[in-house]
Amino acid sequence: MSKQVKMGMLGLALVIPSFLVLFVIVVIPIVISLLESFKDKNGRYSFVNYEHLFTDKLMRSNIIFTLEVTIVSVVLVLIISYALAVYMRFNNGVAVRWIRRTYMIPIFIPSVIATYGLIQLLGNHGWLARILLQAFSVESMPRIIFDKKGIIIAQLWFNIPFTTMLLGSALSAVPNSVIESAKDVGAGFLRIFFKLILPLTFKTLLVAVTFVFMGVIGSFTAPFLIGPNAPQMLGVSMEQVFGVFQDKQMAAAIAFFTFLLCSFMGYFYIQNMIKEERSRSA
Amino acid sequence: MRWFVKAVGPRKIFEFVLLIVFVIFFLGPLLNLAILAFTGKWNYPDVIPHEWSLKWWKFVFQQEDIAKSIGLSFVIASIVTALSIVLCIPAAYAFARIRFPLSRFFLFSFLLTHAFPKMGLYVSIAVLFFKLGLMNTLPGVVLIHIINVLMFMTWIPTAAFRNVHTAQEESARDVGASPLRVFRTITLPLAMPGILVASIFTFLNSLDEAQGTFLVGIPNYKTMPIVMYSIVSDYPAYAGAVFSIILTAPTIILLLAAQRFVSADVLSSGFQIK
Repeated sequence: MSKQVKMGMLGLALVIPSFLVLFVIVVIPIVISLLESFKDKNGRYSFVNYEHLFTDKLMRSNIIFTLEVTIVSVVLVLIISYALAVYMRFNNGVAVRWIRRTYMIPIFIPSVIATYGLIQLLGNHGWLARILLQAFSVESMPRIIFDKKGIIIAQLWFNIPFTTMLLGSALSAVPNSVIESAKDVGAGFLRIFFKLILPLTFKTLLVAVTFVFMGVIGSFTAPFLIGPNAPQMLGVSMEQVFGVFQDKQMAAAIAFFTFLLCSFMGYFYIQNMIKEERSRSA
Repeated sequence: MRWFVKAVGPRKIFEFVLLIVFVIFFLGPLLNLAILAFTGKWNYPDVIPHEWSLKWWKFVFQQEDIAKSIGLSFVIASIVTALSIVLCIPAAYAFARIRFPLSRFFLFSFLLTHAFPKMGLYVSIAVLFFKLGLMNTLPGVVLIHIINVLMFMTWIPTAAFRNVHTAQEESARDVGASPLRVFRTITLPLAMPGILVASIFTFLNSLDEAQGTFLVGIPNYKTMPIVMYSIVSDYPAYAGAVFSIILTAPTIILLLAAQRFVSADVLSSGFQIK
């Protein structure tokens, strides 16, 4: 056997175990749940689950609710994170240094804990309500916990640090010299931003959109603990249909519907990564 | 007011306001829990508790299921970390150093773990586990934890191995070191920070995983986050806050220990190819 073939075999042998795990816990389940979602209670193939998904009033309101929360969260997270990352990249005051040192902490805080903290802080008679009452005599606060607002705030809490980290790492790769020379020829900040910074970080921005979009649609902890009883987000609804009502086919149909919603995003993300790798090794 | 703005400079004030907003939004909930955990009595509408005490710590440690969940969580997280190191580090080395057929396909296949919304993927897995009888078993829980970590546990070490200069390995080979020795004394130590960050990230991820375990591990495998779900509704806030601190402590300790190695660049190499 030539050395090249031997090395090829070694490489495959090193990779196959982890690929097998991936295959068993990701690829097979997805295929099975797709098949399962087209079965009725007696195991015959039919569209009954998808019919229910789009005609049932409660399910429809769940879908609309999920999309609303997701779109609002994604837009807010992206605007705030991008602004924060750009500001941290080009400024170096004391405050900025402190933010840089601490902004990654929330990424590592368990989501259950963060959600619980938000409940205690923002809930009825929570800390914020007390502070507002004592300091500014604000008698009543809008309802945040057990409401859409609470879910969105929690999504911001979870996603802004991670997105800022991704974008910050992309921005640090933008060379200072490029910015400086653009400044030298008299380009204003907006011009530099749109002509240089945005194009150079656009790919990472796309990755960030994908992660936030899928993270919010597939989220469970925050909507489970601080969402309203109805309408629910699809993650919570799925868990209930699976665990409480024991309707596996219906749960699989909802799961598959969330895959469809994300499929465009997932496709762009994977495409983009493959292109990147190709240009790297070319 | 105006002289103040002039003296300090508008930029400084803007940054200060930014810092305040940032701290209140991100650290407010955590600070609130920290205060609650050491509170004896805190009546509405007081802003600060009027009695401090440690009695809720005693209460929490006396609850049997809570103490049990702490042990269980650490056992599961250790198994997950060990297993994913064994599975992923060899693969990472192969991706970085060996040319083999379909290597690009395999490298990108790990994207699949993050290309689907989490809860949807978990429900699909639960449908499979149900057929295989893996519901409510340790292997089932471990497998569901591994999904989350498979991608960055492979990609971060891949990036770390790639960053080791081949020139260094070659010169060691030139003076007669065997390939295994080169790997042990040069490649592995230089890639270690990346591997370490990935492992810590894996351990913490498993420790904190809630939704997947909730779906496939109930009722026998109640890890800390699962117990937390019931604490939210069944226990007083003080007890919940104490448990929150216990659950967050490993995170803080491990992060402080590995602070030198954890950077935005290393972490983001786990989620995108650069």
